[in-house]
Amino acid sequence: MRKLTIFLTVTIGWIFCLAALSLAQAPILREQLVYGLNVFNGKGYGGGFTPYTEDTIYLIADKDNTISANITLVYFWPITGKYVAGFQALNEEVQGTLEILQGGKVIKALEKEDNSLYYPEGYWGESAIFYQGEEAHAYFEKFTQAIEEYYKQISEFYTAQTEYQKNIDEFLNEIKERRDKGEEFTVEEIEKSIPREPKQPTPPILYVTPPKKDYIINLPLGRYKIRIRAEDGTIVQDSEKELVTFASRRTGGTGYEIIPGNRWTRREACDDPSWLIYAAGKNTLYFSPFIQDEYNELYYNKLLDPQNPGREEKWRWVHIQAIKDVTLLFLKGKETLQRIVRVPYYVEQIPGPELGYEIVEFNPEEMFDKQATFEGYKLDLAPTLEKASYEINLEKREGEFFQGGRREVRLVKKENTQSLYIFSIFPLLVGAVVFVTRRRKLGS
Amino acid sequence: MAEKRFSLSIQTVKALSKRDLYSTLRSWGIYVVAFLSFIASSFILKNYLDSIQADDILISADPLNYPLFISVIIISFYLAILSAISISREKDQGTLEVLFYGPVSSLTYILGKYIKDILTYLVMVVFFLVYFWGVSLLTNLGFSYGLLKTILISIFSVSCIVSFGLFISSLTGKMRNSIIWLVGILALFLAVQVGQTILLGMPEENMSPVLTYLGDTLSVVSQGINWISPFSYLTRGIDSVYLENTLLYGLNILYSLAYSAILLLLSIFILKRKGVKG
Repeated sequence: MRKLTIFLTVTIGWIFCLAALSLAQAPILREQLVYGLNVFNGKGYGGGFTPYTEDTIYLIADKDNTISANITLVYFWPITGKYVAGFQALNEEVQGTLEILQGGKVIKALEKEDNSLYYPEGYWGESAIFYQGEEAHAYFEKFTQAIEEYYKQISEFYTAQTEYQKNIDEFLNEIKERRDKGEEFTVEEIEKSIPREPKQPTPPILYVTPPKKDYIINLPLGRYKIRIRAEDGTIVQDSEKELVTFASRRTGGTGYEIIPGNRWTRREACDDPSWLIYAAGKNTLYFSPFIQDEYNELYYNKLLDPQNPGREEKWRWVHIQAIKDVTLLFLKGKETLQRIVRVPYYVEQIPGPELGYEIVEFNPEEMFDKQATFEGYKLDLAPTLEKASYEINLEKREGEFFQGGRREVRLVKKENTQSLYIFSIFPLLVGAVVFVTRRRKLGS
Repeated sequence: MAEKRFSLSIQTVKALSKRDLYSTLRSWGIYVVAFLSFIASSFILKNYLDSIQADDILISADPLNYPLFISVIIISFYLAILSAISISREKDQGTLEVLFYGPVSSLTYILGKYIKDILTYLVMVVFFLVYFWGVSLLTNLGFSYGLLKTILISIFSVSCIVSFGLFISSLTGKMRNSIIWLVGILALFLAVQVGQTILLGMPEENMSPVLTYLGDTLSVVSQGINWISPFSYLTRGIDSVYLENTLLYGLNILYSLAYSAILLLLSIFILKRKGVKG
């Protein structure tokens, strides 16, 4: 027993020493074949790479995804606990045909194809549309034309701006001279004859990535293997990987992100339709509804970054798109207590010992130099509300509700907490009754 | 002749289970255990209410499910130990030998014990309904249809735990050994399951490498004991309620019945092979 204790102590100590040593070491650069990914994540496209250590690539089934094979320098970054690729130092494209195998047979052999991503809401917008071949070039052409048009408008604007500056100076001088001569003007007269400032053109919102050549993978649900066959017919070393395509378990659900007014940075998710919202009834809640799909946690985390950990037993809801054109109803039975519309809010930092901030409605005219912090539906839960069961729901049009938007809101009765312990005694009371009854029976 | 023997067997099972049931219900043990399980549940519920008070919000599918899970675990543990003690004591004291000179056989004896435990648990189900309904009225935490479904599926899960208890006690001779083995194995199963549930509930980004490795190890162990641990049937049942998956719910009932039947048959077989003298 003593020997075992010493052995375990030494082993554990050794493991911790190893961990400590690894922090002090300089990163070792290794030349590796990695797969660069640009994958569909349910709402848009995201990038990443699969180092040598990851043997499986995860993709959403029946969606276009692009992958490319490159030789690069890879090193371990202990702070994040992940491998990092130094594409700036070395980025050598691997040429060949990407073979997809299932059950040991090659089912597809892919050549690189042109592709690009179209972001209708701009580069920072969440949605993106994938185009390949001629369409990719056509959309990129459309984007470059829009940019050229914008630059042309900007050039015209600067010319107009110079002209305007000249005109306004002349106008002001003229007004001054005429005033000096004793002439008087009304405000309306001045407003009528003052030169108008040219309007600055707005840049195009859309963004299209320049077309590039990648392997485009679109596969049904299943498990596959991939590898690259070089032009000389050999398999490129380290190019073999497992490929898993997966789908959502539940789709088209409605989820909520809830921002409690008393701690706006700690947002709560009420994604599952079976979840209830319990509240103490003295707070303000801001609701942001989303359309959502449910994915396996491991697969989805690995899709976002192949080096992410995850658990195959767990599922996670993924918010796909914000729901905006609806009204949030706060109901008690069939009675509508509040009809709430979506409003932008601004979190104002205020000095003081309390919360340190105040959530105010965002007014773009007064707050022209600021941006709204978030948008949501504000539900005030007053302390005077009866401690009962309520409901929230999303109304598309009068009487027509958004599918899956219903959630129950319950205000709890905190004052009865101690009664729970008293109530727990009742089995003992039943036991006492049984005991006394039996004693009486035996006595008689 | 066969019909007469079958009828006699039924009568014997009835008599044995009735005798043991009355004995259990007339003792204080079951009421004290129910009280303790409700105290544990009340403690959890108080924490829920405190956290709602502090954070002003709690999002949960059914906050009463976890307290119910704890109550079911405590009571089923007690029932399994009670059966194990009862069998071992009857073996030790020679009561079993005397019974087996009469119309009692391994089959009727094990079935009698099993039915007694299930009936005792059904009495506990009534207690659960009263307690959780009362809690819901007192606190406004939802007494949902999901909770009723969980209570229903707990009957089948308890059947698994009770069968497991009977199986272990049929394997062991002395009462002390029975209890040590039973408590040890059940506690181990429970520790793996609770440990894994806690680690699964932790946000991935908050987990240290040690916890991640521990989580992976527990996940592998958990997969290994997935169909052996009787507690897995309860967890799977609760999961099926949470997912609102009727097929999974029905399948879980079938799996629980199959598990119970296999262990009961094994217990009967072992009791027959080892004899009644312990």
